[in-house]
Amino acid sequence: MSGNHEAVVRDPLILGKKTYHQMTEDICRPVEGKANKYWWISFFIAFAAMLWGFTCLAYTIGNGIGTWGANKTVGWAWDITNFVWWIGIGHAGTLISAILLLFRQRWRMSINRSAEAMTIFAVICAGLFPLFHTGRPWLDYWMLPLPNQFGSLWVNFNSPLLWDVFAISTYFSVSLVFWYLGLLPDLATVRDRCVTPTKRFIYGILSFGWKGTARDWHRFEEVSLVLAGLSTPLVLSVHTIVSFDFATSIVPGWHTTIFPPYFVAGAIFSGFAMVLTLMIVARKVLNLEEYISLQHIELMNKIIILTGSIVGIAYITEFFMAWYSGVQYESYAFMNRAFGPYWWAYWSMMTCNVITPQLFWFKKIRTSVMATFIISIFVNIGMWFERFVIIVTSLHRDFLPSSWVMYSPTYIEVGIFVGTIGLFFTCFLIFSRVFPVIALAELKTIIKKTGNQYKKKGI
Amino acid sequence: MAKLIYGIFDDEEILMQAIPVLKAKGVVCKDVQSPFPIHGIEPLLNFPRTRISIASFLYGLSGTSFALWMTWYMMIHDWPINIGGKPNFMLYLNLPAFIPVTFELTVFCAAHGMALTFLLRSKILPGVTAPIPHPRITDDKFVLHVDVKDESKTNEIAAMIKSAGAQEVLLKSMQFS
Amino acid sequence: MRGKNISGLKDHQDPKMEKKYWKGVEELQNDAEFVRLKNNEFYENLPLDEVIGKKAEESNLTPRRDFLKFLGFGVAAASLAACEAPVRKTIPYLIRPEQIVPGIANYYASTYFDGYDYASLLVKTREGRPIKIEGNPLSSVTKGKVSARVQASVLSLYDNARLRGPMMNGNAAPWTNIDKAITDKLTAIAAAGGKIRILSSTVISPSTLKVIEDFSKKYPTTKHIQYDAISCSAMIQANKESFGVSVLPTYSFNKANVIVAFDCDFLLNWISPVEYASQYAETRKLNSGRKEMSKHYQFESALSLTGSNADVRTGIKPSQQLSYIIALHNAIASKAGAKSAGSATADGKVIEKLAEELWSNKGKSLVVCGINDASAQKLVNSINSMLGNYGSTIDLDNASNLRKGNDADLAMLLDEADKGEVAALFFYNCNPVYTLPNGEAFAKSMNRIDLSVSFADRPDETASVCKFICPDNHPLESWSDAEPRKGVYSTGQPTISPLFDTRQMQESLLAWAGTPAVFHDYMAANWKAWAPEATWDKIIQDGVYEKTASSPSSYSFNADVSGISESKAAGAIEVVVYEKAGVGNGAQANNPWLQELPDPVSKITWDNYLAVSPKDAREKGWRQGNIVTVKTAKAAVNVPVLIQPGQTPGSVSIALGYGRTKAGKTADNIGWNAYPLVSMVNGLLSYSATAEILKTADEDYVFAATQSHHTMMGRAIVKETSLEEYKKNPNAGNEEELFEVKVGKEISKKPANEVTLWDEHELGNHHWGMSIDLNSCIGCGACVVACTAENNVPMVGKDEVMRSREMHWMRIDRYYSSDFDPKEGEKGDVKLMENPSDMPRVVFQPVMCQHCNHAPCETVCPVIATSHSSEGLNQMIYNRCVGTRYCANNCPYKVRRFNWFRYSDNPKFDYNMNNDLGKMVLNPDVVVRSRGVMEKCSMCVQRIQETKLNAKKAGRKIKDGEFNVACAQTCPTNAITFGDYNIPDSKINQMWKPKERSYHLLEELNVQPNVFYQTKVRNIEESREA
Repeated sequence: MSGNHEAVVRDPLILGKKTYHQMTEDICRPVEGKANKYWWISFFIAFAAMLWGFTCLAYTIGNGIGTWGANKTVGWAWDITNFVWWIGIGHAGTLISAILLLFRQRWRMSINRSAEAMTIFAVICAGLFPLFHTGRPWLDYWMLPLPNQFGSLWVNFNSPLLWDVFAISTYFSVSLVFWYLGLLPDLATVRDRCVTPTKRFIYGILSFGWKGTARDWHRFEEVSLVLAGLSTPLVLSVHTIVSFDFATSIVPGWHTTIFPPYFVAGAIFSGFAMVLTLMIVARKVLNLEEYISLQHIELMNKIIILTGSIVGIAYITEFFMAWYSGVQYESYAFMNRAFGPYWWAYWSMMTCNVITPQLFWFKKIRTSVMATFIISIFVNIGMWFERFVIIVTSLHRDFLPSSWVMYSPTYIEVGIFVGTIGLFFTCFLIFSRVFPVIALAELKTIIKKTGNQYKKKGI
Repeated sequence: MAKLIYGIFDDEEILMQAIPVLKAKGVVCKDVQSPFPIHGIEPLLNFPRTRISIASFLYGLSGTSFALWMTWYMMIHDWPINIGGKPNFMLYLNLPAFIPVTFELTVFCAAHGMALTFLLRSKILPGVTAPIPHPRITDDKFVLHVDVKDESKTNEIAAMIKSAGAQEVLLKSMQFS
Repeated sequence: MRGKNISGLKDHQDPKMEKKYWKGVEELQNDAEFVRLKNNEFYENLPLDEVIGKKAEESNLTPRRDFLKFLGFGVAAASLAACEAPVRKTIPYLIRPEQIVPGIANYYASTYFDGYDYASLLVKTREGRPIKIEGNPLSSVTKGKVSARVQASVLSLYDNARLRGPMMNGNAAPWTNIDKAITDKLTAIAAAGGKIRILSSTVISPSTLKVIEDFSKKYPTTKHIQYDAISCSAMIQANKESFGVSVLPTYSFNKANVIVAFDCDFLLNWISPVEYASQYAETRKLNSGRKEMSKHYQFESALSLTGSNADVRTGIKPSQQLSYIIALHNAIASKAGAKSAGSATADGKVIEKLAEELWSNKGKSLVVCGINDASAQKLVNSINSMLGNYGSTIDLDNASNLRKGNDADLAMLLDEADKGEVAALFFYNCNPVYTLPNGEAFAKSMNRIDLSVSFADRPDETASVCKFICPDNHPLESWSDAEPRKGVYSTGQPTISPLFDTRQMQESLLAWAGTPAVFHDYMAANWKAWAPEATWDKIIQDGVYEKTASSPSSYSFNADVSGISESKAAGAIEVVVYEKAGVGNGAQANNPWLQELPDPVSKITWDNYLAVSPKDAREKGWRQGNIVTVKTAKAAVNVPVLIQPGQTPGSVSIALGYGRTKAGKTADNIGWNAYPLVSMVNGLLSYSATAEILKTADEDYVFAATQSHHTMMGRAIVKETSLEEYKKNPNAGNEEELFEVKVGKEISKKPANEVTLWDEHELGNHHWGMSIDLNSCIGCGACVVACTAENNVPMVGKDEVMRSREMHWMRIDRYYSSDFDPKEGEKGDVKLMENPSDMPRVVFQPVMCQHCNHAPCETVCPVIATSHSSEGLNQMIYNRCVGTRYCANNCPYKVRRFNWFRYSDNPKFDYNMNNDLGKMVLNPDVVVRSRGVMEKCSMCVQRIQETKLNAKKAGRKIKDGEFNVACAQTCPTNAITFGDYNIPDSKINQMWKPKERSYHLLEELNVQPNVFYQTKVRNIEESREA
């Protein structure tokens, strides 16, 4: 097994001259060393944004959802838009760690750790919105199947929102477990390198006393494999169920059978964009260019082309079906998206999601870090607009023209959204300083196969 | 004299070749500690294949049945309510609406059940202090645990391990150098 | 349930002290603990000290931590404050007043007339508080129907702006002093022979007139002048000249096959709108048996509610009114061989056709005119007499008393006041400083009046410049009688003892006349004399006393109209003033229910505006919201522009009743006062004038409209057809669409609502439903206010309405036709369809929760806060709702309303739910919804339950029509019918079963509503293809 080396024709995934120890050094450096000033700057910005978000949230809880811009016709707007956006971003992490593991894609190992971390944080951000978009957030626990104070008045298992509750909580907890199990060996590594007893103690707790015997490793790999096998349908189900919120309703523009695949593709699309945005920064700041190489970036860009194109086709299909169905409400909903008062949202979605990713067909752009970074940002924006378009432009003009209205956000809603972005980056920055951002143990198993210097030896 | 000898290797491939050699000489290779999984080492140490995936399947099954029971009990049996004219006379009539929850609960139980079993079974839990024969076994060192039946043979065995490619050999009783 | 009430209320009447309402028995006993808690915002103490208390101040070393603490505290405090569930304490009666059973409503017959709106009432009281106004079915005038304004008057009773007691020279003073002061002055004035004037709006109370008589006996120099802000003086004058009787006729629209109205909003504001509306609706009812309906022509400048219901509407400028009347007159005259009036230019085609139809319906037609212009009225009289309508549709013998205002008298009084000849002036039910064209001038002249007394219930524009304010009781606190029509009487009794230290105007006058009396006894005595055969108690209990009307005799027209020719004074732009459904003449402007009631046509709340025609807007470059100055000969008013389809080009219109300055918090500085645009033209108040319009500001003033999109976008929402089509095929415009259904092998065609995947749920003993006849609905909005009153619907104010968050449980959608509406089967251009026509046809459609049997809202609620009852009701369980708003998103009718904020006890929403006085109007049977929950029409489930319980106690079934929901109950046109599908021959089944005009809104969605609509039919010779 570990004896046979990979074909030379494949580009090395790990550059530079690396020994096991060297890798340990490189990857543990951010955890053990002092943070540089870029880190502190970005941390403070993120933290400030987070505090602002929480202030807006407190204001909302104190005064009511009326502090947002929603109204009698547009009951959901930024809240659910942001929710779906964040959830979508989360998906890339699970996809990389689970699906690519099943497909035995080795290149995933350099990025899966941080991608999974990203999933966790994204799902936390996402969770905030359904929790606090309710009129009486302090009663949210009523959505759990608990007998209520008047006897057994149960929850409604017909409601997609309830499916969400189950899907999101399962998704969050399973990803968390998956991520943390993977962390154990690397935490052990950090533990054994610790000099101060306190640090050693803390990492000792965190690493659950990992000892790395052959038995443990054997079970460990089995568990990872099965978890991957479970997470794969899970991740697909989560966004499917999120899309049910809309697909099972009767609102023209929502009531569409294409939503599940379309949402999943979109999720992976935006997820990878976010991974790229993060990784491109992280590899610089934590100087890990040799582990997260251009090849990784290129491979991810390829996935973006694929998913981006799927999303594009979905948009067109929607339009076709709206026309083909001959339902006047349906066809109007889509005419209204493209040419109604919210045309600007629709067309910015189109440009960002359908046109920009196609640039990746050019190898030059695909392999340019800067271009990738910019486009990844575009995709993130585009995907946000996609959800906004689906939710707001469908709601604001539905069946009875008498109820047609416009919607515009208040600074409170915007503040909360900014806050979640702050929360996300705060968490990620702390993560990058506390945990090894690359799956060290896993990577060591492939160094001999794809490591640069070993390749040379292999000939 | 020690009961247990640690052979410290610094390359998994040398270790892999060493084990059969030592076994041939009647040395009992009990276990191996390594910084990363060494594929194919289980047969050499003749470990059986783990049954944790079967456990996971069973957990999943229980999740499924619990979900089905719960939805039936809450929506059909305990307090059936006319919700939007949807049928709630029999479980199968309303089942399509219950599939998502059933699926999620299945995954939930399977995943968490398995993870817990793993941690408990391998005694990897918060607060457990790991036996670390060498500070770099989580870095780049590979440790072979050799069991000593007859303590008089300790040095002999140690020598054998060295000759099999180990950088150094530690006896349990000794302090780390 | 109607019990008589005479002594009951007198028991706990305490004229000295102002009423106080205890928050709980603790406050009553001044419990120390309670007093302490009362002053805390939060029930349990928040950890304030740790954060901002002393400790923190002293240790101001670590600001960074403090910041975090504050943040944390912010979150904690905010959440705590929000999460605290309100604790409500109740107190039992110590000694229960007779007749009051807690939880059981008492109904008292009463009468409402404020000089403008008349209604004979049943007042619903709970625990001694009037909470809802309902019509008195015994009355032959209002027939148990009530208009929006009268519905809302119960809230005016609890208006916080009301005076707590009498005022002398701006300070509170006890009645005794006031009586003394006034009597002294009066005697002095009388001795000096100074002129004493009582200025009032129309007084229809015989007893009050008698009181004034007695008063003037004591002070002979007294003269009583009646003045209506919106005057019908010209009609009375014209009738005098035409028939020698100076009265207003009583109309019978129900006997008319052809109805013609010139600038006359008789369905909403003109003289006795509720009466006319119900008569009018009688002529519009269609069913399998009756396939004929009246034809309604309207000639007007502004798009009035009446005009928008007309079959044929012709837009004319005010200056053309006379021309068209003359033209019609001459056309009829030529047929009748009568003398014709002067020549006139008018659209001959319309007039010819109209004349034809009128002539062929002699004696079964009616021409009315709302213009306060004697010659116009004379012509109309002549037309009607030529058509022989006197004695059939018009009745001069049983004359109407509802408008007695005499503009000549008013002019005289103003002149006297101007000259300073008036020594004493009393104001009753009127507010001239606000309603007179030149109010300021009048206000100035008033300080030369020695004794000025106002009976207003608040220091309004007039009262505030009076020396004395002697607040009159609210009608619901007063004894009263009324004679709306000759021989038709109704009486009013107090339904609550006066809330404040107020006194009935009649008692005040009697006191000053030196014959103090309790008005009840005074009235009783009168009635002994007037109706010896009837017992007083019976009259009070019924609330009505009607002599059998003498059959109307026909009158011969004897006035010369030949001299009348069209007025040449045509301006480029002419302005007309009109009244809105809610605020009306402005007397009740401080009533939030009326301010938030959308204008039936423009759907705008909390504002008036200058309605301009789209054509003018295009030509003159006015944009909606531009501020313009309307300049007439005498006055100028700044007002924002609203582009109003249907407004006649060359004319603009603006509503009266707004721009109050001293009405109270709610009304002050809302809108712009248009009364200055009214003018005296040869002795009569004229409500139109030529004007010029100058754009002053280019700003975009934003209106709070409840409907921002005006066309149906070619969707079959309001199904409509012509009478011609309908006669051919009763399903016209409502052809049933069949869908192919394949069950197993065999294929069948079914209507949408019979296609279903599942077996239906069993329904219980009842299956409630509702029918809405779009042919009867005139869109007046009475139902909206009734619903608001019955169901404690909160008012949210202009800003929130701008954010489309009005809370009305039922709304009346109004759609304009578009020039681009697609014909049968073709697809229109959706962009163009958005533009209404310049002169559109208008349809109204009341929409409330449709109580779908396959409700989309129910399925999506995660916590089952809304589910279906065994009686077909879609129930909303407020205290289970967590507020995800998913149900609202998924409701195709968008009838669900969300509590975005806490609307009660919230200074940000300072309406009746924010003060103890205003809260007295709340219906104890309906919970006040807390913040963050969804609400919607419940089909007045509290009424359903009450009736079921009563039936159960009596051990019988509920009879069809035994009770009614609030909206249907008040609807002047009986457009709404509520009933039980499970009663085979129930009214609602009779309406649904024939399946001629009945249809479900958005039927193709197959949500199976329990509410259905009836196709609108227009009486026009036109087939849809044309």
